[in-house]
Amino acid sequence: MATATEKRPEPGPTQCVGPDYRSESQKPIATVSTAVKFENVVTLPQTPQLIALLTMIRDKNTERADFIFYSNRIIRLLVEEGLNHLPVMEHTVTTPVGRTYAGLMFQGKICGVSIMRAGEAMEQGLRDCCRSVRIGKILIQRDEETSKPKLFYDKLPEDIAERWVLLLDPMFATGGSAIMAVDVLKSRGVPEERILFLNLIASPEGIKNFAIKFHKVRVVTAFVDQGLDEKNYIIPGLGDFGDRFYTM
Amino acid sequence: MNNGYCSPALVADAHATDTIAKRVHYSPPWADLSIIGVAGSSGSGKSTLSHAIVSKLNLPWVVIMSMDSYYKPLDAEASKKAFLNEYDFDSPDAIDFDALLETLRDLKAGKRTEIPVYSFEKHQRLKETTTIYSPHVLVLEGIFALYDPRVMELMDMRIYCEADADTCLSRRILRDVKDRGRTVDGCIKQWFGFVKPNYEKYVVPQRNHADIIVPRGVENRVAMTMVTQYIERKLLEKSTHHRAALKSLEIGFESETLSDRVTILKETPQLRGMNTLIQDIDTCSEDFIFYFDRLSCLIIEQALNNVHFKEHTVETPAGRQYRGLAAKGEVCAVIVLRGGATFEGGLRRVIPDCRTGRLLIQSNTRTGEPELHYLKLPNDISKHESVLLLDAQMSSGGSALMAVQVLVDHGVPQDRIVFATYSAGRVGIHRLTKVFPEIAVVVGNMVPDFQDRWVEKRYFRC
Repeated sequence: MATATEKRPEPGPTQCVGPDYRSESQKPIATVSTAVKFENVVTLPQTPQLIALLTMIRDKNTERADFIFYSNRIIRLLVEEGLNHLPVMEHTVTTPVGRTYAGLMFQGKICGVSIMRAGEAMEQGLRDCCRSVRIGKILIQRDEETSKPKLFYDKLPEDIAERWVLLLDPMFATGGSAIMAVDVLKSRGVPEERILFLNLIASPEGIKNFAIKFHKVRVVTAFVDQGLDEKNYIIPGLGDFGDRFYTM
Repeated sequence: MNNGYCSPALVADAHATDTIAKRVHYSPPWADLSIIGVAGSSGSGKSTLSHAIVSKLNLPWVVIMSMDSYYKPLDAEASKKAFLNEYDFDSPDAIDFDALLETLRDLKAGKRTEIPVYSFEKHQRLKETTTIYSPHVLVLEGIFALYDPRVMELMDMRIYCEADADTCLSRRILRDVKDRGRTVDGCIKQWFGFVKPNYEKYVVPQRNHADIIVPRGVENRVAMTMVTQYIERKLLEKSTHHRAALKSLEIGFESETLSDRVTILKETPQLRGMNTLIQDIDTCSEDFIFYFDRLSCLIIEQALNNVHFKEHTVETPAGRQYRGLAAKGEVCAVIVLRGGATFEGGLRRVIPDCRTGRLLIQSNTRTGEPELHYLKLPNDISKHESVLLLDAQMSSGGSALMAVQVLVDHGVPQDRIVFATYSAGRVGIHRLTKVFPEIAVVVGNMVPDFQDRWVEKRYFRC
């Protein structure tokens, strides 16, 4: 897939962030997510809290413990948003005060699939929202010879074809591994419309590459960044997520 | 919908005030404090009587304040005299009536007040103070409790204790030697030098200002009963008044739209699904707790969008700048017990080391009146950037109003308070935002009417 050929990415858009009841002058200005025009991409609401959490994990001076904690908080919000795309059915219950509540019941089985190793860092957030969820793993690494992503390992639930899949990878740069992962899932019988790809920070290029190839896979991201640098790293980004979460 | 009943008098009252739509006044039950003055000669049994009254009432809202706290601090010369037992502590001049008056006026206005601590060993006020907040009845005891007309004017009941001089002297010697580090010689010197002459000159005339003169102190059961019955009646009046005032705040809740500072969590499929599981009586406890924690975490995340942030640019590991935000200051939480404690799981997921104050507000089972039983807040709460006030449910809004009032009384500006709750009805929100228009409110689930506090029962399983 051809990656971006633009010279320098535009700086991200800025706006006043805060609750509606405050005037513009009472709200601080921050860079917010770049708008993308694809229907299957959902960006989390750009609340001041989310921006502050992202600021924390982007800061190169943030210590590992804080990095883990704050990225977990964003991941939980991502998972909560992702789960909203799952089917529900009407379900009326009796409440403790003896009333009826016309509610909803979750429908359909789900599973998580993390792209190793950074994606595994998102598993805790998923478990915080869905207890005892099944989690499969996929290992994709860059092939030294072809410098293209190559599938090294996968272990997925056997009945994955009947499940909704939450695909986990925090950094969505060129989209190379995500595309390969979706291909693996499709080869196991998971239809595109039952795949939700959750990531923290995406690049406009990655989103574009992905959307052209898969029209029906939904992407849930916390923030679409400015773009990629010459080494295909997301900028401003947050560095290597796996390193910052696991080893640094 | 629940009844919108209001007594005609209250409706008329509300219409009489044009500002009612803007800022409605809430008066907590501790405003307009009742003050009982207990005077009498030294050793006449004032403090014993006061303690007996308080223990007979056995209520957390009745406190005793001794006028000993208001002795004037002594300068070097006076201090020297005091150590030689030559300073006249038994003259009204030794009392700082102005400071006392200020304290009583603050308490009467429902404010939090610092009471000085006087050291009899050093004859100085100590650096530390005692905090008094939210009593409904204050018993002020001291030899000159009925001396200053400005102080007496604030009193609801004036008592004068009487005992014969021999009893007084012997009690005084025992007390001063044991508790105040004096010698017997010193005590006797003081007695004849100051106490007795002053007794005749200043103390006895106070009898004329008393409503009740109590001979024989605590042994006098009839007097004790009279006093306690009077206080009980006063408390009941306050409770009735408080409940009526709460009721009057309902006006307009059906017609007016909610304040823009009220955020109701977006009704996403997940939220409705969680609400269904939480409200279903057939959900098992494990699931209830799991989903409540998950939802309370989202409520806290939403509540934090109302706190203040500042601009903060950071450098990323790629060497690029990101123009972001950072919290302006520390956020603390105050939990309204018992319901608010169900939020602690969610709170710790979002701010693990959040400093947390607690207050226990319970509805009186007989009258339904919310009552403040316990209060422990971070010392510097007024300096925190924001305070999250947490309760599981809000129906009438009575306890939420009281909780916000407590924070305001402790110096927290309204616009730094975020009240977050799992469920609320329109009446409660209307009342709360009418009285405190600048606070932010976050609600997980709007419910149609007044509800029993079932969330805490489900969460704590009792």
